[in-house]
Amino acid sequence: MAETTHKEAAHEDHGIGRYVLIWGILLAFTLLTVFTGRMDLGAANIFIALAIATTKATLVVLFFMHLWDTGGVNRLVFVVSVLFAIVLILGVFGDLTARYAPTLPNGGPLPPHSAAGAAEAVEHGMPPIPGH
Amino acid sequence: MSSSKAEPAGGHGHGHALPWYQAHHFDSMEVQNHAVRLGMWLFLGTEVLLFAGLFLGYTVYRWLYHQSFHEASRLLSLPLGTINTIILITSSFTVALGYHAIKVGKQKACVGYLAFTIACAGAFLVIKFFEYKHKFEVGELPGRFFTAYHDFSPLGAKGANLYYAIYFLATGLHAFHVIVGASILAWLMVRVHKGKYGPHHYVPVELGALYWHLVDLVWIFLFPLLYLI
Repeated sequence: MAETTHKEAAHEDHGIGRYVLIWGILLAFTLLTVFTGRMDLGAANIFIALAIATTKATLVVLFFMHLWDTGGVNRLVFVVSVLFAIVLILGVFGDLTARYAPTLPNGGPLPPHSAAGAAEAVEHGMPPIPGH
Repeated sequence: MSSSKAEPAGGHGHGHALPWYQAHHFDSMEVQNHAVRLGMWLFLGTEVLLFAGLFLGYTVYRWLYHQSFHEASRLLSLPLGTINTIILITSSFTVALGYHAIKVGKQKACVGYLAFTIACAGAFLVIKFFEYKHKFEVGELPGRFFTAYHDFSPLGAKGANLYYAIYFLATGLHAFHVIVGASILAWLMVRVHKGKYGPHHYVPVELGALYWHLVDLVWIFLFPLLYLI
């Protein structure tokens, strides 16, 4: 028991300074992502947003959730589940880009305020849109 | 989790007294703590995969209807979204302080930090309620309930209902996690107040805090993907 207490204390004996620092960094990144999110950077926007989000998430996992200190099999479990989530999304994304257009999910009727959409709306018996 | 059946110390024939929070089938608290932490991380792994399904749906529909998604994200309130992000990050910080407090034996401080965290959860849900309320009023809703065609360009209006399907599913599931997380923290707060936890038995607080951090983690991705695209 004495040995246990010693070991447990050893793997995380930092004070609250580390938490305050991470909190400050997370707030700064939040403001940064709001700032870059409203700039028009074209296709780069989503990558910048995801890079900032991933950085924030990594800080939370490592220091608020203590994977920096504990590690071992806990680290393995979490990293593998994140990896499989990425495999899932990349795999489906590959399918999506390879598909024939008619087999893609249809996003619903065309907007009624376009000429083609209005005709389609009548065809499907949709209620008329006010002002049209 | 450790057995909650409070057994009188020494009453189980092991020859040495075990504290009430140590299950008899674990050799030591260290072994027990390893086991419960691994169990929690496995659960968090399944949570990641649960939300991965929603992020996948988001990826597919955004790829197909990116103009709709772009216009729909501009119709969310960025100030409210930013405030909610700051609230969740701050609550994640205070729950970490609560964990630290109980670990060094400051029960009163721990109760305070947990109470503040729960208040943050409440504030988050109130703001989310008003955001939802507005969406219902203007008809920015999923599927055939979507009526806000005039808020969108002709190109963006097709598929905008899919954005709202993802928006309500993802933020709704997340809000449900906020409610569950706050309930767990409230239960822990009462038990800390009763003096059940301390420097030798703090892992339940640690696991509750881990769950709360996951709630924060999911929002860290939902916020830019829904509000800033």
